[in-house]
Amino acid sequence: MTIVVPFPEVTAAEEIPKVIRLSHNLYALSFSLMKLIPARYILRRAVADGRIGADTVIVETTSGTFGLALAMQAAQLRRRLVLVSDPAIDDRLHRRLTDLGAVVERVRGEAAVGGYQQARLDRLAEVQAERPDHFCPQQYSNTDNPRSYALVAEILAEALGQVDCVVGPVGSGGSMCGTVAFLRSLTPDCVAVGVDTHHSVLFGHPDGHRGLRGLGNSLMPQNLDHRTFDSVHWCSDSLAYQATRLLHRRHSLFKGPTSGAAYQVARWWAAANPDAVTVAMLPDDGSRYQDTVYDDGWLRDGGHLRPPLPDEPRPVSDAGDASGQWTSFAWERRTLDDVRAVAR
Amino acid sequence: MTMVSTPSPAPVAWYLAPPQESAGTSQHGIAGAPAHHGELLQGVFAVDGELRRALVSLAHPGAGTVATFRPQSSPGLSVTDASLTKVRRAAELTMDELRALPTAPAGGVVEIVSNVPRGVGMGSSTADVVATIRAVADYHGAELPPHTVARLAVAAERASDSIMFADQVVLFAHRAGRLLETLGTALPPLIVLGCNTGADGVDTLEHPPAEYDEREVATFGVLRAALRRAVATGDCRLLGRVATASARLNQRFLPKPQLEVLIELCLRHGGSGVQVAHSGTVAGLMFDARSPDVQNAVHASTVELERLGLQVTTVLRTTTDAVRPAVRAR
Ligand SMILES: Cc1ncc(COP(=O)(O)O)c(C=O)c1O
Repeated sequence: MTIVVPFPEVTAAEEIPKVIRLSHNLYALSFSLMKLIPARYILRRAVADGRIGADTVIVETTSGTFGLALAMQAAQLRRRLVLVSDPAIDDRLHRRLTDLGAVVERVRGEAAVGGYQQARLDRLAEVQAERPDHFCPQQYSNTDNPRSYALVAEILAEALGQVDCVVGPVGSGGSMCGTVAFLRSLTPDCVAVGVDTHHSVLFGHPDGHRGLRGLGNSLMPQNLDHRTFDSVHWCSDSLAYQATRLLHRRHSLFKGPTSGAAYQVARWWAAANPDAVTVAMLPDDGSRYQDTVYDDGWLRDGGHLRPPLPDEPRPVSDAGDASGQWTSFAWERRTLDDVRAVAR
Repeated sequence: MTMVSTPSPAPVAWYLAPPQESAGTSQHGIAGAPAHHGELLQGVFAVDGELRRALVSLAHPGAGTVATFRPQSSPGLSVTDASLTKVRRAAELTMDELRALPTAPAGGVVEIVSNVPRGVGMGSSTADVVATIRAVADYHGAELPPHTVARLAVAAERASDSIMFADQVVLFAHRAGRLLETLGTALPPLIVLGCNTGADGVDTLEHPPAEYDEREVATFGVLRAALRRAVATGDCRLLGRVATASARLNQRFLPKPQLEVLIELCLRHGGSGVQVAHSGTVAGLMFDARSPDVQNAVHASTVELERLGLQVTTVLRTTTDAVRPAVRAR
């Protein structure tokens, strides 16, 4: 018998996603802040095995939700945290980070190759050199990032048993590659659908400007194991925003735009495979996006209300084809090199 | 308390008489314990921040041990089969445990009757040990709770299977002798076709404990979660997936040579999956007993196993209860 017990700390409570039924075969996996899972796992392990001592400074480069998750966990562990970010870090997030005691360092300009992301990595190297006693979580290469998602697979396995398909956004690759790998120990045929955005290098697009933040990448993360994915979808910013609002209107789920992108792809997949239990990963809640995605004026001014949501993706035969609003590609669990070799 | 007596001409009814050793009267404790057919899941699990080795045995109601304890007025314990040293140790520990009872004798003799094959991972040793503990307790007029039986069994044989909790499905720390979680009161209705995949037996204790890496430990957590659901909802297919995954994870340590062949065969005939003895050689093809086609599937699988040179050594049917706990919404 299980009874309700208190959580030992807020991050332990907030990292737990909820499994919510959206239709007979589509389920939302709704996180308030998904990145708490790797942040909490990585930092607590490093404290436990001595890599983080009493005076160790935690340093990381991020402008997004991973920084917030680190700041929450570092505050609970009573450790100092330095975050290196873009100059464009959103003001509300910046205030929240500093209120949690984090030091936020903004880089000034873009690097010649790799844009702001590379500039941040360069500055991070400097910060590390200045502080010999430091610990860097390295979400893009630390294998504890994907491993931390065993927790998610546990919850899905207990709530749903067999999961036939997982659809989720990809940034570092940690959440999708980790969750799916653990689920496949139970159900080896579980389908993984990755959601990326045009002009992200993750699945072979040339790097370029991207409106949609939180998924996609300008650099290739080591934690992205391409062989995880059966198919890949690219969603435009406008499509993601509209789908985010649809998710809110239809299901009262108040989520961020990467959730909207995952929802759009997942509901299409679930409708096309009515016998398959499909899970959409929804990584964060909507409060950070109230002045943007949830503001009709902002959407209209940005031209995000058109074209309307299409019914289905446009399949592409070349993974490098970066055009369109919603495209899909049969990845078939191959490496990036293998996919490219066929394209050539 | 089960007291068995040969009728004697004594005028006083045997059950009113105090324990005594007189010619023509014998009074003894007798009890049984079931075998198992390996495990549904075995690995290392994170429990309250600590890593613990634990297993979920698949109890085999059709095989087991019956132990008889006969008191002696002289101190000392013996077993009719002197090679059963764990049985002697179990009897001594139980005598010690119950020393304070007025019924405690000075010593005794244990006799073991068992139909459990030895050295194949079917829990012959634990069945002997648990039957012995229960038989000694029975003689004393005591009924020991399962967790006490578990503690005594592990003290006697260092690692025990979870069959002392026979009416429940439990995750049991087999080296600590601790119940970690009760998964449910019964398994769904299963038919398990058992076979022996290895010629040589395995000594459970000589075999070094598996050293799992962090990924594997994390995977065991996922399997445990799935097993909770499988037991709570009576889902044979999910149960089979858990057992199959556990068997595959164990291949690194004690490989079953034909595991993948067995899995393929079982699934092709509509079965749920394959469970193994993680420290033995038996493997079982699992079938949902409720499926309309199960008799054909079992028959076809048996024929095919024989073609592979594997005899079906046992057929196991789970005993099930009618009422299941409701599944809680998350
Ligand atoms: C809101 C949001 N969605 C999705 C992702 C992608 O997750 P992952 O890095 O595990 O691939 C991120 C990553 O930062 C995120 O912040």
